[in-house]
Amino acid sequence: MSTQDKVKINKLPTGVPGLDEIVGGGLPEFSFNIIAGAPGSGKTTLAHQFVFANATPERPALYFTVLGESAVKMLRYQQQYTFFNPAMLPGSIRFINLSQVVLEKDLGAVLEQITKEVEKANPAVVVVDSFRTMVRKPESDMDLQSFIQRLALFLASWQATTFLIGEYAEDELRDNPIFTVADGLLWLRQTAERNSIVRKLQIIKLRGQDSVPGLHTFRITDAGVQAFSRTFGLTARKRNPPSDRRLSFGIAELDKMLGGGVREGDSALIAGPSGTGKSVLATQFIAEGIRQGEPGIVAVFEERPQAYAERAASLGLDLETPQKDGKLTILYLRPLDLSVDETMHSILDAVQKIGAKRLVIDSLAGFEMALAPGFRADFRESLYRMIFALTGIGVTILSTVEVDESFTEFPFSTYSISFLTDDIIRLRYVSIDGQLRKIMVVIKMRGGNHAKDIREYEITSKGVVILGKRLTEYQGLISGIPVHSGRPDMTEEPSQDTGIEHNT
Amino acid sequence: MRDLVHRLLVYEAGAAKASEPLESPTLRVYEKLRQSLGEFVGVAGFYSLASRALALAKPEAPSLNTTVVSGDGALQGLGEIQTQIDMNKDPAGEGGIILIACLLGLLRIFLGEALTLSLLRNAWPGEVFDDRNSVHGRNA
Repeated sequence: MSTQDKVKINKLPTGVPGLDEIVGGGLPEFSFNIIAGAPGSGKTTLAHQFVFANATPERPALYFTVLGESAVKMLRYQQQYTFFNPAMLPGSIRFINLSQVVLEKDLGAVLEQITKEVEKANPAVVVVDSFRTMVRKPESDMDLQSFIQRLALFLASWQATTFLIGEYAEDELRDNPIFTVADGLLWLRQTAERNSIVRKLQIIKLRGQDSVPGLHTFRITDAGVQAFSRTFGLTARKRNPPSDRRLSFGIAELDKMLGGGVREGDSALIAGPSGTGKSVLATQFIAEGIRQGEPGIVAVFEERPQAYAERAASLGLDLETPQKDGKLTILYLRPLDLSVDETMHSILDAVQKIGAKRLVIDSLAGFEMALAPGFRADFRESLYRMIFALTGIGVTILSTVEVDESFTEFPFSTYSISFLTDDIIRLRYVSIDGQLRKIMVVIKMRGGNHAKDIREYEITSKGVVILGKRLTEYQGLISGIPVHSGRPDMTEEPSQDTGIEHNT
Repeated sequence: MRDLVHRLLVYEAGAAKASEPLESPTLRVYEKLRQSLGEFVGVAGFYSLASRALALAKPEAPSLNTTVVSGDGALQGLGEIQTQIDMNKDPAGEGGIILIACLLGLLRIFLGEALTLSLLRNAWPGEVFDDRNSVHGRNA
């Protein structure tokens, strides 16, 4: 059969931000869907969003309420969401209560009532909330499977996209004939992880189109359900080809150490103990980008944007003006119970809004702490997805990470995430001549040559300043307790390595 | 609120002339509310609202003391009051109006003004509702 012969299935917007991407562009028109999950998981809210997004006076939505939450209470609470438009009731959206029929009659009478209302209203959308309460009625003449099959057949014939809402536990999924009838099965979960609630949704089944597999985080806010695809909505976007362009830190000596700067589209990591200037370097990186016309995003977790900008100002870096000019966004991501996917959503929004080329994440430790405990277990995996997605669209990421200072080891990160990064700059303290001084070294540059030199630096009112030449008169610098080698200070230019990639 | 109820009554009084002149406008308004609200809150849901409204209205309108809400949400005893009002011009006999105002007031409390008006617009034509007729009403 040629492509021309195939029926085209229209995809209806779900009205749930992020969900269209997950279900493959929208829900199939005339499909028969089940929204399942535990009480309080957002099933009714999700159905309402679909209804408000698709109902029209010509093709209204019929919302059948059965036993359970009363219609008055449901509308009282649902109208608090921003998507709820009271003007659409009852012209475009009609709520019909079936409690009496369910209580006094059998499923056959329920089907008859629904049939009568559908034939009268010619709806585009039909919701039965909650159909599970009908199942519990023991003396039904018509068995539930038969009811569901006849309902599905009738509603599909009447060109209605249908949702049955039901409270189900996970173990009820297996061998349940009701789920066999459905074209789409959306499962909403919420679990308590220590003090946080983690909400995730899964498209267990969706006939006729590809959906993004796996568990996707969602949140219920004033705007209703908001879903965050595991692929961050970037599945349809092509990855940018690797670039040879180098992005400057605005610190000439550091740029030289990096072989000209951080390669565009790289993920770079600055690792070091507290007070070594990781945030200062990150700030200089973002400020230099703005100076060169490259908009930037700074995601901060440990301090407010105002404080961040004030600290930059103390280094002579103006972050206020570019914020006003739309060249810089400082995102403060509240440290409570975020998921990486939500954080990514915020960052991606900001990236797309200002066309950001540089992104600073300051810091990974703060990022992890901002996550709900349940998401921390997946931190590395989530970080991998995030970095892959962002660098794929050409954003250069600079992350900072605090490492415990050790005088026996030289760790790059406490997260074992060096494999996620293309470039690593390590900062550390050293004890020299009765002073606690600072050194930096470029550990890794995936995209090319970099200096092997260990350089001393200071943090001044102008930011990070690299001092003199490489330190040749000491041995064991990376131990933090070097010994004087007795060699005179070298005067040659900082050396570059041979281009051999360092395995870290 | 009562201002809106008066408007609904005036509309129904006009409509009743043509169809069922003997039926009380108050009862006609109540019955329309019962039909339209009953559709989405159910019979039991409407009964709950109406019985609450009656309980709220009784202290203000003692003439409602003999009125009851039956299991299907219908009012029993209001028709007699209305006849008495018409015959004696008793100003204290606004029981029906007060009852309906209480019912609409409950809807406003639970659903808000916008949604309440949307639901009422399903039962009455648009001209009954103009800018002056918010459910807050002049006399609420």
